[in-house]
Amino acid sequence: MIAPEPRKGLGNTGLFVAVIGSIFALYAVGMAVIPGAILSKTPPGPGVAPLDAEAQRGRALYVSEGCAYCHTQQVRPLEQDRAFGRPSAPGDFAYATPELLGTERTGPDLSNVGARQSDVWEAIHLYQPRALVAASVMPSYGWLFATRDAAGPGDVTVPVPAEFVPKGKVVVETPDSRALIAYLRQLKQAPLEKPRS
Amino acid sequence: MSGGNATATAATYGDSRTQALDAKLFSAFVISATFWLLIATAAGVLVAFEFSYPALASSPWLSFGRLRAVHTNGTFFGWASVALVGVAMWTAARSSGVAIQRRRLAWAALWAFNIATALGTITLDLGMSNGSQEYREWIRPVYVFLLAGIVLSGVVVYATVNARRDRDIYIGNWYTLGGFVFATLIGLTAFFPFYQRGLGQVAVQGFYIHNAVGMWFTFLGLGIAYYALPKLLNRPIYSYALGILGFWTQLAFYPMIGAHHFLFSPLPWWIQSLAVIFSVGMIVPVWTATGNFWLTMHGRWTTIWRSYALPFIWAGIGFYFLSSTQGSIESVRSVQAVWHFTNFTVGHSHLTMYGFVSFLAWGGIYAMLPKATGKEPSRLAAGINFWLALLGVLIYVSALSITGTIQGLTWATGNPFIASVQASQPYWIARAVSGSMMYTAHIAFAYNVWKMTLGATSASAEIADAPTATGVLA
Repeated sequence: MIAPEPRKGLGNTGLFVAVIGSIFALYAVGMAVIPGAILSKTPPGPGVAPLDAEAQRGRALYVSEGCAYCHTQQVRPLEQDRAFGRPSAPGDFAYATPELLGTERTGPDLSNVGARQSDVWEAIHLYQPRALVAASVMPSYGWLFATRDAAGPGDVTVPVPAEFVPKGKVVVETPDSRALIAYLRQLKQAPLEKPRS
Repeated sequence: MSGGNATATAATYGDSRTQALDAKLFSAFVISATFWLLIATAAGVLVAFEFSYPALASSPWLSFGRLRAVHTNGTFFGWASVALVGVAMWTAARSSGVAIQRRRLAWAALWAFNIATALGTITLDLGMSNGSQEYREWIRPVYVFLLAGIVLSGVVVYATVNARRDRDIYIGNWYTLGGFVFATLIGLTAFFPFYQRGLGQVAVQGFYIHNAVGMWFTFLGLGIAYYALPKLLNRPIYSYALGILGFWTQLAFYPMIGAHHFLFSPLPWWIQSLAVIFSVGMIVPVWTATGNFWLTMHGRWTTIWRSYALPFIWAGIGFYFLSSTQGSIESVRSVQAVWHFTNFTVGHSHLTMYGFVSFLAWGGIYAMLPKATGKEPSRLAAGINFWLALLGVLIYVSALSITGTIQGLTWATGNPFIASVQASQPYWIARAVSGSMMYTAHIAFAYNVWKMTLGATSASAEIADAPTATGVLA
């Protein structure tokens, strides 16, 4: 057995790991933890309010169903984003945890969808997107609704065109569909104050 | 640095019992990874078809929104991480001339990875998600198992490298050890909630989303290349200095660039600008590493088809070069204005995670597993694995790059949104078809994994030291 050579500098495994670990830890603190801590304290913009309890439950459903993988909630200061609303401001996200900015737009941005669509439109569209937008590839969220032979007392019927409903049935809202729609309807951008000239 | 030890210490470790235990461990990692590859990419193929046939999402458990995260987390952690960790343990041991150290911890790590992936897959499909932040959707109790898997296997690799005979750490193990250290810190940074409210979480997510790829998979992938290429060619790596330059520049630049996923977002402009600058700077480590591998191969290109492993490794290195260079270009603001939010990004992520990471994982497995177990893969199945995966990913990425460009231009020219969906349809069909080709490749790979592990012992391997079909592996 040859005597092992002394391990100096980065040949020392423990020292090597400590050096690269410290360098990367500095990056993690400087690029994630500190910016995260500062930005977490971003005050709400004017008119930005927390969601009510039902909409908060709807937001949780939005996360469960992975809506954010196709729908962003960030409007860029670019011409092509103008249809979705005004550019997003830091104060828009004060109550938005977990963040749902998203990285992909297979469907349109939803930052301001509450200002564009109605409750009924959202209900029909969630039940069967292709009843309203023929070329849509969005999944139909039929499982958020109930289908019955006839609407009972207190049931809210969703006026889905007959061709998209099982024969002899009616589609009615459930607490889940109502919560998700309540959330979508509360997605409205608060107007920014006009800059002083 | 003194070098060349990777070729000098092969197969001189331990007794036959130790060798069998190492081989069993390595086989278990590969079998486990292959299982999750088949599950997670089945989910991928299904959702690819749902873009053309939305009615396939007939229940919540089959819908895109849930299965997308099942696919990404399953491929990242169940398949790629477990495969790369298995290869990393094996290469750490062989390049150090010792057996895999702390083998029981290695088994515990494998259990942790599997518990995480099984629970993560089930909970996501039941609609339990930590949020829609990519690659950390598993709920916290599940994510703890993933972290445990990374830390435990990191301890194994550390102990193995530390038990080496040589004075210096082999360059491949610089990368491998780095991957475990960085992944642990990335996971911890992502885990704690105190600094992750609203926009604060966006900043952390920018850091997480990119580092989880480039400081974990890239480091383990390059670790394989730095070990397997010299080993298969039976010559030292062209330049240690270039390898070390690549290591330090990657460590210096890469942690800065994650925010390029949030260009034009309300994140502070300085974070976004730094991300773009350092993304372009990544050309240095990427071209350095690729050049180093190229020069190592110089004069030996005709030998590439003599081994199962070399074509996979070279495809992996080629995709590393292409995808990373593409990433640098893609990060520039004027280009991002068009490509951001489009399918171009999905194409890019498959160029990296499939073209680069998965091909290197396959290359590492084909290079080393037959030596570990003494069992050869089927030549035909290896060919199917290589060609269908290669053609598949090329068609996949081309289709999504084209449709991403069309989507971006459709938006920029003021069309109704649905026009970008309609224009994408032919390319989405191409994606589903190429995804099916890739899945067929995975079945061929799974067959070979069975041949190399649980299958009957090959005739050729029974003769000790005989050259095997894997070529020049000594």
